[in-house]
Amino acid sequence: MDDLLVVRNLTKNFGGLAAVSEVSFEVRRGEILGLIGPNGAGKTTLFNLISGLLASNQGSIKLEGEDLTKMPPYRRSAMGVGRTFQVVRPFDMTVLENVMVPIFTHYKSAKEAKGKAYEILEMVRLENMADSMPSSLTLAQRKRIEVARALATKPKLLLLDEVLAGLNPSEVAENLPLIRQVRDSGVTILFIEHLMDAMMAISERVLVMDQGALIACGTPDEVTSDQCVITAYLGEEAPEC
Amino acid sequence: MRTNKIIVAAAILALGLLAVPLYFTSTFILHMFTLVFFYIALTAAWNIPAFGGKFSLGHAAFFGLGAYAASILYVKYGISPLIGIFAGTVCAMLGGVILSFPLIRLKGPFFTLASIAFAEVLRMVAIDWRSMTNGSVGLNIPFKPGWLNLTFTSGMPFYYIALGLAVLVILLAWWIRSSALGYHLRAAAADEDAAKALGINTAKSHFFALMWSSGLTGMIAVFYVFYNYVLEPGTAFSMDLFSLQPAMNGIIGGMGTVWGPVIGAIIMTPLGEFLRFYLGTIQQGLNFVVYGLMLIAVVNFVPGGIVSLMAPWFKKKKSGESSARDN
Repeated sequence: MDDLLVVRNLTKNFGGLAAVSEVSFEVRRGEILGLIGPNGAGKTTLFNLISGLLASNQGSIKLEGEDLTKMPPYRRSAMGVGRTFQVVRPFDMTVLENVMVPIFTHYKSAKEAKGKAYEILEMVRLENMADSMPSSLTLAQRKRIEVARALATKPKLLLLDEVLAGLNPSEVAENLPLIRQVRDSGVTILFIEHLMDAMMAISERVLVMDQGALIACGTPDEVTSDQCVITAYLGEEAPEC
Repeated sequence: MRTNKIIVAAAILALGLLAVPLYFTSTFILHMFTLVFFYIALTAAWNIPAFGGKFSLGHAAFFGLGAYAASILYVKYGISPLIGIFAGTVCAMLGGVILSFPLIRLKGPFFTLASIAFAEVLRMVAIDWRSMTNGSVGLNIPFKPGWLNLTFTSGMPFYYIALGLAVLVILLAWWIRSSALGYHLRAAAADEDAAKALGINTAKSHFFALMWSSGLTGMIAVFYVFYNYVLEPGTAFSMDLFSLQPAMNGIIGGMGTVWGPVIGAIIMTPLGEFLRFYLGTIQQGLNFVVYGLMLIAVVNFVPGGIVSLMAPWFKKKKSGESSARDN
């Protein structure tokens, strides 16, 4: 399997605090890669660095060999990095129009954009809600708008930031297959999730972060039996990591 | 059916507006209408950056640049204002370019403050650059009637010119809002980071919005000066008349919408004249007290502006709204 995204020594300091320090990893093309870690571990900061909303202090980010490190966010999006946000804040327009926004970067005609947006809404099963305002939708549906908007940028790599958080078990069961479906359509996925069951069920490999550093990487089984990971979550006296 | 009704209503309104000068020969009424049209156009132009959440209090800068460009060309060099229209538009857009570099990345109140400073600096320049602008004395447009000089013996031509400007700017604003640029601006206004992550070059969108807005403001200013014959720095770069008033109209009518500026200008222009006339004579500045109170009331009770109160009349029935949950 070849590497789609290669991150090397990525570091971000906020004042004296290293929110992300010396993080290196690869995302393989076509995989679902989970990213877990306790609160404040630097997961969302890492997403902000990859999508370009934050500038890194050092290190490099390469997508298919192209260096993204110095690119503004909109160019990274054009290169194929899509993302969702942990806190869903849909634009104040209809569901369909929300999805049309990114499509308008490729298609200038509103009619074409509408058609494309509708196709994506069908994929996330929101086609019946196309003309509704996002505020009238459930959280689970609003999270799917986020996914639909990100898909509309035609990403090669999709960064999903807690698309399952805050959903009840039946909604999780409803949204979970969507992640697999998106991957099967040819999009590589890196996703942050706190729901362990969901994470373990769906990801092929898992990265674990703690206090800004990457402390483990492997299959779900390997990671859950890793002593450092257990320590990070449960706070036992640390053996040598 | 619905669209037919709208077309009929629009046609009746258009005919009515076209007929006004034929039935109302009073110069006061004609002047009032003309002023309302000018302010609809100015407010609608001011409102374009507001699609993207940028709140300017410096549009007097673009107004003054457009007004001075055409007037200097005419008064000093004898060049027809018909050419001055283009010169005024371009000069105002250049002002927009200058303003965009430092400001387009500033957010919220910082953009607004910097826009005020920009207009004030230009006013100072207009006062001090006497060889070009005649300083505080200002420039007088000589009365030589004729289309080439944009000077007329009656108020009627300017009534139609102002009406045409208002319609033009409304149509442009509507077109921009429903185009890719409009969607990108609205996305940026709602959530700048999300818009960037979705591949939108938000700085570029704000820049284009400012170009449209500044250019149109400069163009309107050229006509306004030739309607008024006089031009001096205090008026051309007037914060009250061309920065605050359009912003005021926009907030009260409904910022970031197509029809908000229209409603705002229709209500505020006659009201402003009335207040200036009656309250301004009792105690100077009293009219602004009323403005302030209105602003507080609207921002507190109808934050979406008057257009948001009227929205239910216009909105089509939303199909999917009733069933909030899907399958």
